[in-house]
Amino acid sequence: MRPQFSIIFFTTLAGMAQGLLFFIALSNLYSQTTPNAFLTNLALPVAFVLLSLGLLASFFHLGHPERAWRAAMMWRTSWLSREVIVLPALMIATAAVFLYALNGKVPQWLWLVLLFTTLALWVCTAKIYQCIRFIQEWSHPSTITNFILLGMASGWILLELLIAVWGDAAVQMIDAPLSIIAFLLLFLAFNLKLWIWRRNRDLRPKSNLSTATGIKGSNIRQTSMGLMGGSFNTREFFHHQTDRVIANLRKIILLCTYVIPMILMAYSITTPSIVMIFLALLINYLGLLAERWMFFAEANHPQNLYYQRVS
Amino acid sequence: MSKNKQLALVIDLNVCVGCHACVTSCKEWNTSGSAGPLTDLNAYGASPSGTFFNRVQTFEAGTFPNTQTVHFPKSCLHCEEPPCVPVCPTGASYKRKEDGIVLVDYDKCIGCSYCSWACPYGARELDQERQVMTKCTLCVDRIYSETLPESEKKPACVLACPTSARIFGDVHDPESAASKAIEERGGYALMPEWETQPANHYLPRSIMETIDAARNDK
Repeated sequence: MRPQFSIIFFTTLAGMAQGLLFFIALSNLYSQTTPNAFLTNLALPVAFVLLSLGLLASFFHLGHPERAWRAAMMWRTSWLSREVIVLPALMIATAAVFLYALNGKVPQWLWLVLLFTTLALWVCTAKIYQCIRFIQEWSHPSTITNFILLGMASGWILLELLIAVWGDAAVQMIDAPLSIIAFLLLFLAFNLKLWIWRRNRDLRPKSNLSTATGIKGSNIRQTSMGLMGGSFNTREFFHHQTDRVIANLRKIILLCTYVIPMILMAYSITTPSIVMIFLALLINYLGLLAERWMFFAEANHPQNLYYQRVS
Repeated sequence: MSKNKQLALVIDLNVCVGCHACVTSCKEWNTSGSAGPLTDLNAYGASPSGTFFNRVQTFEAGTFPNTQTVHFPKSCLHCEEPPCVPVCPTGASYKRKEDGIVLVDYDKCIGCSYCSWACPYGARELDQERQVMTKCTLCVDRIYSETLPESEKKPACVLACPTSARIFGDVHDPESAASKAIEERGGYALMPEWETQPANHYLPRSIMETIDAARNDK
């Protein structure tokens, strides 16, 4: 598939915000730990801005953004429609927590709502891809697990950075355990990605030219796709990059998304420093952009069987 | 199968000669209608690109000297279980109850392309200029036309085909020419592994059996 930058930015930015909100909600459900000023002056505005940027990016995906409101209609059958509903719902929940935090105590039920909505958005986003049964790279529970784990990892590092920036000495004390959890999240996500790549490599396509054309006979090959100048089919469903670019990008993904941030996090377990955490977040995010690009690029669409040779 | 009507095409691979008359007649009819043009960009340039509902592709099979060339027209198959319809977030993509045609409401389509991802056959094309998803309509504006003579109330591709390789009809009516062709000549569906139940069927090249028999006799 052709990687779409609108979706790459949406899923990575929103994913990070979801990770941040998820852990804030979780920790406050457990015990009212975060100071209200930290929430209203830093964490919640940051999450809201990230979600808004993601929402903005998603509009660039549409041919008719002025009709975007229509996309909320088919929530009974379409995961995309459900996502279109849950994203604003998460933004409203974030705003509600903000308002409650401004005026005192955030009620327990609202933390639950926030926790549930962040999870629901991950489910909707991942299911959009996972539910397409004939894209075998996507049609597997690892898709949703990968979205959630990477969102949690980047959101957690962001939370750690925000706590460090907040600069409260009492809060900074917990930077070391935070780094341990960040390291573990990255480590889990790293192993999942290696597993996904191994699975993709070993996939046997269910469709082939024999099933796609029904031609009886061996050694079926295309001699003409019926057009010479390219079409939507040749643009939308191929990544248009060389094998070398793909191979190099895989190395960059492993290094930036996982390995370098893990090293930086391991370093900040012993010596917490804002610079290290910031670098970890930045490099991890750049890696995430590449990881999401590859998520699309490595998806093989069966329609490509019909578009192999110009003539 | 429901007892409702399901209009479809049956394509005879024995006689398709790959002339592309169905492609051009489809484009001519469907770019001229009230639904808006099928845009061509850079039509006279080095790299033209345009929207088409129908393509004729060519495949080869076998090893020399026992080879065959197959011309293979490909358009929307109007699946009985169309995977492109439930994924549409706006309801622009729908399957008509009365005759089984899968259509796009261009006024509701937001151009998100999700339905095209959800079609394993690559039957849908986003029009570059109008930025809405387009696809074969089975010439719904011809077959229900109130002005065309009865003999012309068929899809443009069917009328254009010089070898009658395209049979149009209701595949739920066992008496229709389309159903009979499928029944008697082993009509099959594309990519049955995804259980989309395409309404369009293809007739296999029975001529290869005759040729193989003749070769074996020698």
